[in-house]
Amino acid sequence: MKKTLALALAFLLVALSVAGCSKPATDNGTTPEPSNGGESPTEGFEIALITDKGNIDDKSFNQGAWEGVIAFAEAENITHQYIKPEEASDAGYLAAIDLAVTGGAKVIVTPGFLFEVPIYEAQTRYPEVKFILLDGAPRTADYATFETKENVASVMYSEEQSGYLAGYAAVMEGMTNLGFMGGMAVPAVQAFGYGYLQGAEDAAEELGMGDGAIKVTYHYTGNFEENDTNKATARTMFQEGVEVIFAAGGAVGKSVMSAASEADAKVIGVDVDQRYDSETVITSATKGLAASVISVLESIYKTNSWDTYAGKTTYFNASNDGVGLPTKVIGDDAADAFDRFETFNKAKYDEILAKLADGSIEVIRKIDVADAKGNATADELTSQLNLAKVAVTTR
Amino acid sequence: MANNNDITHSKKYNIKNITKSSAFSSFTAALMAIFLGMIFGFIIMLIAAPEKAVAGFRFVLLGGLKRIGDVFYFATPIIMTGLSVGFAFKMGLFNIGASGQYTMGMFFALYVGFMMDLPSGIHWIVAILAGILGGMIWGFIPGVFKALLNVNEVITSIMFNYIGMYLVDMMIQTNETMYISTMARTKYLPQSVQIPSLGIQGSNVNLGIIFAILIGIGLYMVLQKTTFGYELKATGYNKFAAEYAGMRVKTNIIITMVIAGGLAGLGGALAILAPSAIAGSSMTYEPINRIAAAGFNGIAVALLGSSHPIGIIFASIFISHIQRGGTLASLVGYKPEIIDVVIAVIIYFSAFAMIMNAGLARLLMKLVKHDDKVPNNTKGAE
Amino acid sequence: MENYIVEMLNITKKFPGIIANDNITLRLKKGEIHALLGENGAGKSTLMSVLFGLYRPEIGEIRKNGEIVKINNPNDANDLGIGMVHQHFKLVDIFTVLENIILGVEPNTMGFIQKKDARKKVVELSEKYGLRVDPDNLIENITVGMQQRVEILKMLYRDNEILIFDEPTAVLTPQEIKELLQIMKGFAEEGKSILFITHKLNEIMEVADRCTVLRKGKYIGTVDIKDSSKEELSRMMVGRDISFTVQKEKREPGEVVLSVRNLTVQSKNNKNNAVKNVSFDVRAGEIVCLAGIDGNGQTEFVHALTGLQKSTSGNINLMGNDITNASIRQRSINGMSHIPEDRHKHGLVLDYKLEENLVLQRYWEPEFQKGGFIKFDSVRKYSEGLIDKFDIRSGQGPITIARSMSGGNQQKAIIAREIDKKHELLVAVQPTRGLDVGAIEYVHKQLVQRRDEGKAVFLVSLELDEVMNVSDRILVIYEGEIVGELDPKKITVQELGLYMSGAKRDNIKENNNGE
Repeated sequence: MKKTLALALAFLLVALSVAGCSKPATDNGTTPEPSNGGESPTEGFEIALITDKGNIDDKSFNQGAWEGVIAFAEAENITHQYIKPEEASDAGYLAAIDLAVTGGAKVIVTPGFLFEVPIYEAQTRYPEVKFILLDGAPRTADYATFETKENVASVMYSEEQSGYLAGYAAVMEGMTNLGFMGGMAVPAVQAFGYGYLQGAEDAAEELGMGDGAIKVTYHYTGNFEENDTNKATARTMFQEGVEVIFAAGGAVGKSVMSAASEADAKVIGVDVDQRYDSETVITSATKGLAASVISVLESIYKTNSWDTYAGKTTYFNASNDGVGLPTKVIGDDAADAFDRFETFNKAKYDEILAKLADGSIEVIRKIDVADAKGNATADELTSQLNLAKVAVTTR
Repeated sequence: MANNNDITHSKKYNIKNITKSSAFSSFTAALMAIFLGMIFGFIIMLIAAPEKAVAGFRFVLLGGLKRIGDVFYFATPIIMTGLSVGFAFKMGLFNIGASGQYTMGMFFALYVGFMMDLPSGIHWIVAILAGILGGMIWGFIPGVFKALLNVNEVITSIMFNYIGMYLVDMMIQTNETMYISTMARTKYLPQSVQIPSLGIQGSNVNLGIIFAILIGIGLYMVLQKTTFGYELKATGYNKFAAEYAGMRVKTNIIITMVIAGGLAGLGGALAILAPSAIAGSSMTYEPINRIAAAGFNGIAVALLGSSHPIGIIFASIFISHIQRGGTLASLVGYKPEIIDVVIAVIIYFSAFAMIMNAGLARLLMKLVKHDDKVPNNTKGAE
Repeated sequence: MENYIVEMLNITKKFPGIIANDNITLRLKKGEIHALLGENGAGKSTLMSVLFGLYRPEIGEIRKNGEIVKINNPNDANDLGIGMVHQHFKLVDIFTVLENIILGVEPNTMGFIQKKDARKKVVELSEKYGLRVDPDNLIENITVGMQQRVEILKMLYRDNEILIFDEPTAVLTPQEIKELLQIMKGFAEEGKSILFITHKLNEIMEVADRCTVLRKGKYIGTVDIKDSSKEELSRMMVGRDISFTVQKEKREPGEVVLSVRNLTVQSKNNKNNAVKNVSFDVRAGEIVCLAGIDGNGQTEFVHALTGLQKSTSGNINLMGNDITNASIRQRSINGMSHIPEDRHKHGLVLDYKLEENLVLQRYWEPEFQKGGFIKFDSVRKYSEGLIDKFDIRSGQGPITIARSMSGGNQQKAIIAREIDKKHELLVAVQPTRGLDVGAIEYVHKQLVQRRDEGKAVFLVSLELDEVMNVSDRILVIYEGEIVGELDPKKITVQELGLYMSGAKRDNIKENNNGE
C-alpha cells in the first residue's frame, strides 16, 4: 500500500513539477503565451495533410500527395504540416482532422479512399475548411448516402487513360503477347484494364498489324495481396509466352515482379512509379497525385477558381497531368525515365499523351459486365471495347 | 541490561527512519526516472527545432490534460498488456508474448462480432469474453511448454507472437464475412458488439477503461490478499522454496500464463470493440503482417510500474498522457516522427531508469543516514 | 602499538534497523592468528567486510602499519595485501581452478592471457602449502573443500599478507578442518597475519593466539588464548554460561513413525544411484541420526524422503500411510516437518517478510485463509507468537524481510515454523550448520524436546559432536549404503569416524532395525 501511495505521489509530483517549471520557461519570453492557455499557438499551419495508415514515405498516396503539398506550399510560401492519426480508424482519422483544424488548417488534404467516411463527417463539422479528398468521395459508413459538400473537392483519376498509355507503350515496344493482372474487379482496376486493351489495340493499328496479332491474357486475382497463388499465376502466364504483365492490384505487383525476375520477363507498374521496386518494371501506369493536389491548391490560392472543383468529383486525366507514364527519375534530372524501353521513347509518349489530352482519342472507362463480381468475359471485352487486333483470353 | 535497552531504543528510532526513507526513495526514484526521461526528450526536441522546443514540450507534458478522455481511451489496451506482463513477472515469467495474445483476443472478439448474431445487450459482453478466451489459449501454450518441458517462455512466446499474428491475418483474409479486400481491412462491426461509450465529447473512451482499472485493482487484491497470490509471488522469488512448501509450481506456471494471456487478450478485445464517434463506423483490423505494438508498450509500462498492478495503471495513463500531448506538438510544427522519437525516449528512459530504482534508493538511504549519524552514535557510545 | 600490522579503530557501521558494528576496535599483530568470535549477527562478517572494502563505516578509521588508509573497495584492500576467503565462495562455476585463481589479475600480453606463468606460480604455491588442487578441473566438478583451497590460493597468488577467513570450517569435513587449521598455522609461522572468523571454540583453542569477542554489534574484549578457556570465551560470546553437553533423559522409543524399505534414489548429477537399497525405521520418541561424510547420498536420501526428488524403487511409510509417491503437501499433512539443508534455497523465501515465511507451510490452512483470502490478522498474531516463543530477532519484527536477518535467526524462523506445525516426524538436515554455540544449544534443546514429546526425529548431520551428543541411535551412510547402526553410548568418536570413512562396516540385515 505504501508503495502504491508512493508511486501515485510520484506521478502527481511529476505533473506538478512539470506544470511548475514550464511556467518560467514561457515567462522568459521564448514563446509567446497564448491568451487561452496554450489552446492554439500563434504559429499554426495553413495546409495540412493527414496520412492514412501508412507512413509519409509510403511510395504511394501519402507520399505522392505530400510531394504536391510541399511543391506548392514552398513555392507560395504557405505554412504546411502533415499529421499522423493516433489510430488507423475512421474516428482516428476524424480526430486527426480535428487536430489539423485546431492547428489553423484552412485546407486539408486526405489521400485515399479510407478518408471517405471521416470527410463526410468533417465537411459538415468544418464548413469553413476546404478538403481535398483523393481517390474517393465522401459517404456514410453504410454507403447509404454519398454527398460532396461545397467545401470538398473529390479527386479521382482517369485510370483508363493511364492503362491506355501502358498498353500502347508495350505494343509500340514490339511486344505481341501481353498480360493483365488486376486485383479485384473494382472500378479503378477495371478502368486500368480496359484502357490497357484499348491502348494495345490502337498501337497495333498504328503499326499496321493484322487482326489478332496481339494476344492479351486478362485476369483478376480477386485480391490485392502478395501471395503464392498470384505469383504462380504470373509464372504460368510468363511460361505461356507472355512478355509483359501489367500488374494493377497493389501488392499483387510484388508477386508479379518476383515471378518476372525468375522468368526474365517484364512488368508494368501501377499508381506510382515502381521502377525503384524491381529491375523488371519497364514503366508504370501512374496517377498524378502531386499534380492533382497542386492543381486544386492553385485553384484556391492563385486562380481563385475553387468552384471548378468544389462539391463534386473531378477526374484528373492526361489534360491536367492527372495520369501518365513516369517521365522523370527521382534524384537524377538528367536520367531518361524510358531507359528500360528499346524502341518506345519520350517523344512517342508525348505524342500519344497530347492526343489523349486534346480529346482526339477517347478511352472507354466502363462497360457492362454481367458477372456480379465485375469479372468481364472475353466476349464482353472484345465487343464493347471494339477490339480487333487484340485477341483477349480471360482466365 | 542497559545495553539491551539501548538497542531496542535505537531499533525503534530506526524503524521510523526506514519507513520514511524507503517510501521516500521509491517515490523519488520514480520521479527521477521520469524526470530524466523528460530531460532527454526535451534535448531531442531542442536538437530537432530549438525555437519551437519549449512550446512543443509544453504540449508533450500538459497537452494530455486537455484530452483526458483520449488519455484514458488509449491507455486502456496498454493497461491490459502491462498487467499481463507485470502479472507474469511476479511469478518470475517474462511474458514477451503479450502482443500475440492481444492479437488473438482481437480475433476472437471480431469473430463473435461478425459471425454471431446476439442481442445488443449481451453481444459485446460475449465478444469481450471471447477475446479473453483467445488470449488465454495463446498464454496457455507457452505456459504448458514452460511447466512440462521447461522450454523458456521467452522463446515460445516470441514465436507465438508471430504464429498468432500470421494466423489471425490469414483467417481474417480468408473470411468473406469479416474482410473487405478492396479496403484491405475488416468490415465495420455491428453496433451491438461495440462497447458502450462513456459519452465524453470528442473521445471514444468507453467502459473498457473502467474494466481495465477494476481488473488492475482486482489483480492487486489477488496478489496481495489471496493464497494464490502468495504462492505466485513465492514461486517468483524462489521456486525451490515454493516447491519445498508443497506448492504446485507447474500448475501455477500454467495458470499464471493463462491469466496473463487472458489479460492481454482482453486488451485486444477492448481495443477492437471500442465504439466509433462516427455513426455506422467502428474499429477495423488490418491484416498487414505487423506485430501489435501494444504488447511491447505493455513491457514498458510493466517496468515503469514495477510490475505492481496499481503502478501499471498509473504508468499506462502517464504514457498515454505523454503520447496524447505529443500528438498536439505537431501543432507547433514538429514532425510526427520526431514526436514519436521523443515519446519513445521518455517512455523507455523512464522504464529503464526504474530498474536502477534499487541503486538510487540505496544512495538516498545513505544520504538520509548521514543526517542522523550523530544522535545514534552518542547513544551507542560506551 | 609498534608491531600491529592492521588496526581498526572505533568502527561503527549501521544498517536499516540495526547497528551492526558499534564502536569496535580490533588490532592485528604481524604473524598472529587472531580469532574473531561472536554469535550469528554479532557483527563479525560486517567488520571484516569493512576491512575488505565491501562496506564503508560511518565512523572510525583503519590503519596499516600505523598509517591511516582508505579502503573503498576490494581492490584497495588487495593493494594493501588484504585477502579474504568468504563464507560463500566467490568462484565462477564454469571456469577452471586456474582461471578462477587468476581472475582479475590475469597476466596478459596485448590482451591475450598468458596462462603458463600463472600455472607455474599456482603449482608452486599449492605444493609449498600443501593445498592440493587440480588446476584444470572446473569449479563445479570439485568438492567444497577443494573450492576453499582455490579461494586460499587466490589470496596467495595475489601475494596477500593479511588473510581473512570468514567461517572457513563451516562447510568442511572433520578431516578437511584438521588440514585447514594446519595450513593456517603454517601461514602464521611464515609471518602472514590471519584473521579467523568463527564461532567454533575448539578451533580457536587449537590455533589462535588471541581472540576478540563481539556481541550484538559491540566490542566485548580481546583475550590471549593461552590465558583463557572455552568456558570464558563462550561466556563472553553469549553473555551467559553455556553447556556443551546435551541434557537428555533416557526414553523408551514407541510406535514406528517412519519406515523406509529398500529405498534406491538416483543421483542428481549422474545416472548412478546415490542411495542404494536403504531400509530403516524411526520410532516415536527417539532421535535417529544419519551420519556420514558429505556427499555420500544424504542429500538425495532426504530429497526422496521429503518429496523433492523421486525415488527409483523401494517405499516409504509414514504413520502407516505409504507416501512413496505422495506430493510434498501430502507428506506435510501426514505429519512430516522438514528443516532443509539449504535454508536459502529451500527453507525461506528471502524476499518475503518474516511473517510470510512463518506460514509458508500453513498458509492454506483454515486458520490462515478463508475462501482463498489470507487472513493477515491471524498471520500477524501467529507470527508474533512464534517470534516471541522462539526468540527470533530481527530489525522490524514480523515485517522484517527475511533476507536482512542473520543466519541464526533465519534458522530459528525455519525451526519455529517446522516445529510449531502439527507433525509426528521431524526431518532436520544439518540444522546447526553455520550457527554459533548459543544457537546450536538452542537447536539441540528443541530437537530433544520434540523427542521427549514423543515425536520421531530424523537428524542428518556431518558434525561428529552433534551426532554423538544428540542422537539415540546412529545410522552411518557410506556411498549410499547404510554401513552401520550404532549406539552412541557404546562407541567412540574414532570408531564412528572409521564407519564414516568406509574403513569399517557391519552387515545390516533388513528389518533388523530398531528391534
